[in-house]
Order: sequence, then structure tokens, then C-alpha cells
Amino acid sequence: MFTTQNLVSVAIAALLTAGLYAVMSYGLAIIYGVMKVINVSNAGFLMLGAFMTLMYSQWWHLDPVAGAVLNLLPFFGAGWLVYKLLVRRVVNSRSARPIASLLLLFALWLVIQNVALAIWGSEDQSIITAYTYKSLIVGGFRLPLTRLIVFAVALLALSLLHFVLGHTYIGKALRATVQDPQAALLVGIDTERISALAFGLGTALAGFAGGLLTLLFSFTPDFGGPFQLKSFTIIVLGGLENFAGVTVGAAILALAESFAVLFMRASLQNVIAYGLLVVALIVMPGGVAQLWSRIRS
Amino acid sequence: MRPSLRLELAAALAVGILLAAVPLLIPGNITLLNLGILTFLYVAQGVAWNILGGFAGYVSFGYAAFFGLGAYTTALLWLAGWSPVLTYPVAGLVAAAFSLLVGAPTLRLIGPYFSIATIGVGEAMRILMLNLDKITGGASGLNLPTVVPSKTWFYFVALICAAIAYAVAAWIRGARFGLGLTALRLDLEAAESLGVRTTLFKNLAHIVSAALVGTCGGVYATYLQYVHPDTVFSFTHSISLVLIALIGGLGTVWGPVLGAAVFFVVQDYLQTSYPSFHLLVYGLLLLLIILFEPGGMAGLAGRLVARLRHASTGSPAAAPAPHAEHGGAPMPRTETERPGTKRTT
Amino acid sequence: MTTALTLEGITKRFGGLAALQDVTVQIASGDITGLIGPNGAGKTTLFSIIAGKTRPTVGRVVCFDRDITGWSAHAVCRLVVCTTHQVVRPFGELTVLENVRVGASFGASGRLGGRTADEEAGDILTFVGLAHRRDSLASALTLAQRKRLEIARALATRPSVLLLDEVLAGLTPAEIQQALELVRQIRARGITIVMIEHVMRAVMDLSDRVLVLNYGRLIADGSPAVVANNPQVIEAYLGETISEN
Repeated sequence: MFTTQNLVSVAIAALLTAGLYAVMSYGLAIIYGVMKVINVSNAGFLMLGAFMTLMYSQWWHLDPVAGAVLNLLPFFGAGWLVYKLLVRRVVNSRSARPIASLLLLFALWLVIQNVALAIWGSEDQSIITAYTYKSLIVGGFRLPLTRLIVFAVALLALSLLHFVLGHTYIGKALRATVQDPQAALLVGIDTERISALAFGLGTALAGFAGGLLTLLFSFTPDFGGPFQLKSFTIIVLGGLENFAGVTVGAAILALAESFAVLFMRASLQNVIAYGLLVVALIVMPGGVAQLWSRIRS
Repeated sequence: MRPSLRLELAAALAVGILLAAVPLLIPGNITLLNLGILTFLYVAQGVAWNILGGFAGYVSFGYAAFFGLGAYTTALLWLAGWSPVLTYPVAGLVAAAFSLLVGAPTLRLIGPYFSIATIGVGEAMRILMLNLDKITGGASGLNLPTVVPSKTWFYFVALICAAIAYAVAAWIRGARFGLGLTALRLDLEAAESLGVRTTLFKNLAHIVSAALVGTCGGVYATYLQYVHPDTVFSFTHSISLVLIALIGGLGTVWGPVLGAAVFFVVQDYLQTSYPSFHLLVYGLLLLLIILFEPGGMAGLAGRLVARLRHASTGSPAAAPAPHAEHGGAPMPRTETERPGTKRTT
Repeated sequence: MTTALTLEGITKRFGGLAALQDVTVQIASGDITGLIGPNGAGKTTLFSIIAGKTRPTVGRVVCFDRDITGWSAHAVCRLVVCTTHQVVRPFGELTVLENVRVGASFGASGRLGGRTADEEAGDILTFVGLAHRRDSLASALTLAQRKRLEIARALATRPSVLLLDEVLAGLTPAEIQQALELVRQIRARGITIVMIEHVMRAVMDLSDRVLVLNYGRLIADGSPAVVANNPQVIEAYLGETISEN
């Protein structure tokens, strides 16, 4: 069971999943970074992304990857609206308790989840494409095509994101607001707009990731929950305000989960994420980024 | 004791006596008894949850862990031959012990992080229990002995649970402990600097409420004669407690009572048509509450009372609207600071 | 003369930065001691250490012959010391009376000598001049009133040492005079006071003794007159160019 062959293939599978995990969690990281708000409704949009992609494939025979991309714009708009209509009211006052925004978004999640249940019912859904069961043999390892595609698309998305955040005005304004909202205001950045943008972007990413998810998993309206907690684990592990940390956190979680399956039941897999979450929150709230800066100094 | 508190307790006592009289006045009505049992258990849990969630301000999404532990403790002891009633306090103790274990590290986290951590703990517990099939019966659950007391007996036991929970919460409210909890909720550091033992108080609140919830779990297990991890450890159950307290009004003792009643009416009414519709309604209700009336129904009631009082006396608003003791709304509006007081040294 | 507070070699480092360097001082009981220095000199950090909010990296804090280094904030409060905050933080949802009651119930627990917390709170409110607002919500007070509330809350804990962090900031000249009068009356009750202040004239008028911090070091310690003429102090506030004259 512990052959090198096995271990390497587990590691590869993990890495491929990590790409998706990273995209899924990036939205959460952006929203948290800009507004210090934990967007628990992220799971709901993830799930909606999956279901919309399902709809596209049923109506127009659209490939899930294309469906995921198609989700970007409408989900951005949805996120923008959610911010303008709901989140803004609860976040603006300086001494507003952070728990209020959490509860608000939690309520939103409940609504989204149950509307989805009402529309689509609770059966497992999945999308089968021409390549769902195909794999590539590379160097003696069997790599499922779906995982490779998801990884490639995720990598592309992350690189694009990295470029936008690093080299466009909007991206820099966003990062500035994350670092120091007061200073950003002074420099003339419209932090209000940035917040709305961040929420839109975060939601867009959730919808996108949801679309990609359909290639790898079957889904029901309930399935957002575990992914939500995993996303949160990832951003805590990576360091809450550190965007680069998201990829690191995703890799850590994916690896931990994949290797854990080697010696514990598959049904216990989610406990890894939950356990890591609680431990990370308590022991190293600053995540890997904090450890890294400690090692440096 | 404050006059308003006295009035509240008197009203609670009156309601309690009335409820106790129901099975005597309308004997043998199974539907009513069932409704009563479940409602009272939820009242008890909602009120208990509120001690940590509303008074102290630590919103936990993982109380199903305590409910489930209580249920399973009772189930296993009962199967081992214990009389069910004796198992109830043990169920409470087990839940309390577990709450100390998970509470000590997690209560050190601030608000939202604590909440997220509790989701993790709660769900982890459910999965673990599902997988410990040798003990818990895993995915098939545990069937319990069929010799049970009558529904009427359960009605009174559940009512007693609700009464105890209410009494505990009311006592805490009026005591120094309650003031300390409110202070640490409003400003942890300031409370510490005024001599409040915040860590001790937080954990005590956690333990007390967990014990109450655990006991309810035990009663539930004997009532249903069946336990399964997906029912007693469910996230939905945890959410229900949060909703009951929020809808009713955090920070008051009787808020969750109202919340539980509303919760049950809605659930019962909608259960037949759409099984998960009630969650949608709660979600919408919660949205509305957070946006417009963070104090929940209790807050709304408080404001109405203030308006009426205002209108009848016609006095200018020198004394601001009366609020539930030690604060009603959990989410205060901004306090504006004069410019120039930025922290620099 | 008893020593109320002794700081021995207090050093505090955050990462590589030393916020406080080897601060040693003895504060006499019953004195009003001013603590001044440019922004970022470490004054509030020093208060945090005394009050138990942070531990010093090196050094000891001794209060009336008891080593209180590393004690938790609530324990320090219950002993003898209470701090007010630079940015006032009243419990907005509670009434003025309830705010003070927190201090009386907890900080002074066991030392009220048979009086109830409410009685104590009421008396303190009369003393600071807020009795007429006892049933108002704390969030409804003006800034000057909130500062008084902050002080009242601290007084309710029956401290022997009171640490005031910029109580005069943001007040009008008339309000400052009232506040100073209050501080004098507090001292008259036998409470040792240490005040961080930027309102220079007030501090110099009021203090028996002045300590000056600059970049975490104690650069002057003496009567107001002596300190005011200390060239190092002047340099710290105005910069090096002046001394070139």
C-alpha cells in the first residue's frame, strides 16, 4: 500500500486537486482581505455555480469549463448586488460587530441553499462529458483527464488573477485597501467601490470554481458546506490576508487529505479539514505566512 | 430586584402553570402533547444557548455536539440497564465536560473565528460518531428499549427542562455573573481592565449551557427511543438553536422562548407542504432581523413598548428607550469619536 | 513616604523593535506623576505593562511591595491598579450607572465594606458629577462626559493607583479645567495618579513629578520646572536643529 508508485500518484492527485481548492478559496481570501468579512455564503455561490453549469449543459450542451467561464459575469453582478444591498448596511459602521456580517451572510447561504433545494430537489447531479472517464498515462501514472483539465484551467485562472492583482490599477488598489484601508482612502482610492468589487470578484470566483467542480464531483444543494469549511481552512493556513498563501494552504490541505486516505477511512476525510481548521485557528492564526516571517526574523 | 424583572418572572411562572395544566384540562391529546414536548425541549436549548451566544456574545454553530453527546450518553446507559431518569444528569455532565475540552481553546478566538471553529467541531463530531459504529451503531443508529413512560410524563419532564433552563438564565441575568458576561461581550479588554475574569466567565457560561443542552439530548433520546448521528449531531439542529435565539432576541431571557414558539409554529405549518421550506423561511427571517431589527422579536417588542410609553407620557426623549436589562440589541450602532483622539503613543 | 509603584528595568521588544528600554522608576504614593514624551515614545505601552495587558520582555513591576509582573489584567485591577483608555470605551449599551457598577462589582469585589455595588456606583457618580445622567445610555453622552464615566468606572474599582491615559485629549479649555479639578480631588482621596498627557501646561501645573520618555527610554525624571528646562527634553520634542543655536 505504501509503495512509491502509490505515494507519488496520491501526491499528484493531491496537487491537481489543490489547483481547484486554490481557486475556490481565493474569492474568500479577497473578500476577507478587503473587508475583514468572512463570506459564509461563498458555499452557496459555489453550489449555484455548479447548478448553473448543469443548466448550461442541459440547455445548450455547453462544456462545464465553458460553463464555468460563463458564470463569471453574472456571478460578479450577483456579488456586487449582495454587497450593495445587504453587506454594506451591516459593515459600514466602524464599531459594527463582525459577527453581524457573518450572520447576515449565513442567512443568505440558508436562503440560497433552500431555494436551490426547492428548484432542483436533493438528488445527486453530475455532468458527464466525452472525456469524463478518460485518463492520460504519463510516465507510468494514470492521470484522469478531468483532473488535468481542471488543474490547467485553475492554474490559468490563478495566473490571470495574480497578474490583475499585481499589475493593474484595480488590483493594486485592492491590495492597498487590504493592507491599510485608512491609507488607501487618503491616497484617493474609493474603498467603497473596492469593497463592492472585491465582493463581486469573490463571488465570481466562487461561481467559476463551482463550474469546475462539476467535472470532478457529483453535487447536491447541500454540498457547499464541506467546501466552505475547506476554503476557510485554506485561507487560515495560508495566512488570512496573504494571497500567495492561498495556494500554499490549498496544497497543504489537499496533500493532507490525500495522504490521510491511505490510512483512514474515506468517510473520515472531511475531519482532516475540520481538525486542521480548529488547530490552525488556535495555534497559528497567522497561518503559514506568519511562520515564514518568524523563520526569517 | 428590579420591578421589570419581577414582572417577567411572574409572567413566566403564570405561563408555566398554564402549560402544566394543559394535559390535565385536555387529556389524551397526543398531537398537543407531542408539540409540547418538542417545543419545550427547544425552548430549553434555545434559552441555554443564549447564555453563551446572547449574553456573552459567542455565537456557536456547534451545539448539536452537546445535544448528541447527551443523547448518546443516555442511550448507552439505558441499554446498559440504567433507569432513564438517572441518565439525564449524567448526560448533562458528559456534555459539560466536553464543552470544557473544546471551549478552553476555542473561546480564546474572537467572535467570527470562534463561530467558524464551532462549525468545524460540530461537524467533526458528527462524522466521528458516524464512524464509531461499534459504539454508536453508526449509520443505522441505536434502537432503544420500548418500555417508556407515557407521553404525559415526557410532557412534564420537558416542561421542567424548559423551566430549569429559564430559571438558570434568569438568575444569571440578574446576578453579577450576567453583568460580567454582558461587559465582556461589549468590550472584552475594558471588562478585563475593570476586574472581570473574562476567561473564567466565558467558559462557565459555555459549560452551564452545554450541560442544559446535553440533558435535553438525553430526554430526546428516551422520547424518540432511537438515536442516529445524523439527527442528534446534525448541523441543522445547531442552526435551529442559533435561529431560535436570534429570532427571539439575543440577550433577553424570554426572547428564545418566543423564538422557539415561532420556530415550531412555522415548522409544523410548513412540514407537510415542503420539508425544507421552513429553513428558507428562517433564512429570510434572519436576513430581515439582521438588517432591520437586530434585537429580534424581543427588541421589536421593546421598541413598541417604548413608543407606547413615550406616547402616553408625552415626555421628551431625555431618558432613552428602555432596553432589556444589560442591553438588548446585540449589534450596536456606531459611537462617533471626536477627531484628534487617534492612538499614537 | 511609601512607594506605590516600582518599575525595574522594564524593556519591551516587539520583533526587532524595542518599544521600551530599561525603564526604571519609583513612584511615590499619593503623588501625581506626569508621563510625557513625543508620539510613539512608548507611554501607552508602559501603561499596558503595568496594568497587565502585556508582559515586559525584561523587568519587573512591583506594586506596594508585591511583584505583579505578568499578572493578568483583571488580577491587577482587583489588586490596586486601574487604567483608563486613551480612546474612551464605555459600555455603550449599558446605562451610566451600570457601567460604573461593573467596576464596583468586579474590580472592587470584596473591598466594598458592606455596601452594595449600586450604592458605591451612585456615590462615585456624584463625585465625578455624572449623577444626573445615571440612567442614560453611555452611548448618549458627550465626549467630556464619557471621559468622566471612564474615570468613574476606574474609581469604582477602589484603586490605590490610577493610570490616566490622555484624559484631557479632545476637551475644550473649560472642560480641561473641570477635569483637572477632578484629578486633584481624586488625589485628595489618597489615590496615586500617573497621567499620560500631551496638554503640556496642564501636566506641568498639576504634576508633582514628571517623567519623560523618548524612543522607549526614560530621559528625564524630576519636578516640572527642572524637566521643562532639560535640554534633552527640549531636543526630543523639537528636534536637533534647535540645539545648534
